[in-house]
Amino acid sequence: MSDALLTTLASGLVLGSLYALMASGLSVVWTTLGVFNFAHGALMMFGAYIAWTVSEAAGLGLLSGILAGTIVTGLVGVIIERLLIRSFYGNRNMLLITVMTTLAAMIIIEKGAQMIWGARLKQLPRLIEGEVSLFGTTVSAHEALIIGLAPTILLALWAFTTITSTGRSLRAVGQNQTSAALIGIHVPRAFSIAFAISAGLAGLTGALLGSIRFITPAMGSEPLVKAMIVVIFGGLGSLGATAGAAYVIGMLEAILILTVGLYWTPSLMFLVMIIVLVLRPNGLFGRRLI
Amino acid sequence: MSILLDVADVTAGYGNTTVLRGISLTLKEGKSIGLFGPNGHGKTTLLHTISGLIRPSSGTIHYMQRDISGESSANIVAKGLVHSPQGNTLFGDMGISETLELAAFTPRARTDKNLNLDYVYKLFPRLSERKKQLAKTLSGGERQMLSIGCAIMCSPKILMLDEPTLGLSPRLKKELGQAISKISLNGISMIIVEQDVEFLLSLTQRLYMIEHGEVVREIDRTDAPAHEEIMQLYFGGKQT
Repeated sequence: MSDALLTTLASGLVLGSLYALMASGLSVVWTTLGVFNFAHGALMMFGAYIAWTVSEAAGLGLLSGILAGTIVTGLVGVIIERLLIRSFYGNRNMLLITVMTTLAAMIIIEKGAQMIWGARLKQLPRLIEGEVSLFGTTVSAHEALIIGLAPTILLALWAFTTITSTGRSLRAVGQNQTSAALIGIHVPRAFSIAFAISAGLAGLTGALLGSIRFITPAMGSEPLVKAMIVVIFGGLGSLGATAGAAYVIGMLEAILILTVGLYWTPSLMFLVMIIVLVLRPNGLFGRRLI
Repeated sequence: MSILLDVADVTAGYGNTTVLRGISLTLKEGKSIGLFGPNGHGKTTLLHTISGLIRPSSGTIHYMQRDISGESSANIVAKGLVHSPQGNTLFGDMGISETLELAAFTPRARTDKNLNLDYVYKLFPRLSERKKQLAKTLSGGERQMLSIGCAIMCSPKILMLDEPTLGLSPRLKKELGQAISKISLNGISMIIVEQDVEFLLSLTQRLYMIEHGEVVREIDRTDAPAHEEIMQLYFGGKQT
């Protein structure tokens, strides 16, 4: 195989891994609450800044930075749910209202980040220096780490939602809130847990991405759009479908960048998504519409 | 004999619509009661209010001498007051065994999990034959069994069943009736909502007729009215 193709494959894997982390968080909130969180990209950016603050500004090291970015962002997610979403449960127009409130959260977090950290570009060091050879091409060790970490975290998330009682309760709440409440599940608590996991995953993605790309207040908007494509493309609702779609989209993006160039890639990806949805209205791996 | 549940002068409804207008009833330990009456007069609303899905706007609900009105459903279930709602669709994409295991969610239910699971499978062998089948593909009768099974997994002291035989064939109705009487023989008190008064009389000791959100008549099993009289209660006619 040609070198260009191998490099493309590797970069597709990195992209796919990042999208999988982003999109699975989006998917957890969607399946539990039926809310599409537009602040998800902003939360990712917030995680990157927290990681930078702890790691670089406070000098505590990147590992503590990544940990702090994940946890603090998870807590911010819980606050967003409590303040901007919880009061609208049961409202007939909840979906539309939460589109507006989560968009508001996105704007607040982005402007807030600009106020706190300024517009100057920031970057995190890499967790591991050096390079690793992968399928006959070389990627940075940090990227290799992302490639390995993403499936591990997704697997852990899958195990959490299928094996543990708490994880199962999130799925139960997503499928039938009344029945869930009547077997003793605290529905509001399930909402908080779902948002904490989702935002934590966004924060982690941001902290990992901050070593590859520059950290800016607007860095979350493009990954958000990609994660949305992934979630819709994969078929809303199932974690496996979302993960599969993330890698398909990552690969597709890498191949499109190689063949048609950066300029047309975003529009072509939307075109592919629309074609898939016309042919398979429930998404590539989806079974039914919710 | 102590009073397990005491509903006193409860008013409740949905939004601006008042459904329950000062309803009162009591359930003694070791007994079961039945609720009947025309549709849309508050039987289901009463169960929803007791299980915390709706907050009463006035009145009190005492369960084991403690006021539970206004508490969340999850807390009420955790105390052993369990409600199997009408037409419970449960969790469509979960299998039977996964649903039952999940239903042992509260701390007290978790301690009895294996015991209860065996009991449910013995009570409804049909469920044990298809543990992996998804809830959304179950028939109406099987779904009803799963719903009652879930309620048992919660380790109930009081079990509230809302029209458990609605829309079922006579054969299935008989089968479920037998299962319900087995549960009650096991020492679980029940509140059963049904249209079929004779069915209720076979399962409970005391009936309450509910009309316009009030108890309009109490019937003891020992002096149960004849069939014609029940028909008159439902459809009107000469006063008794």
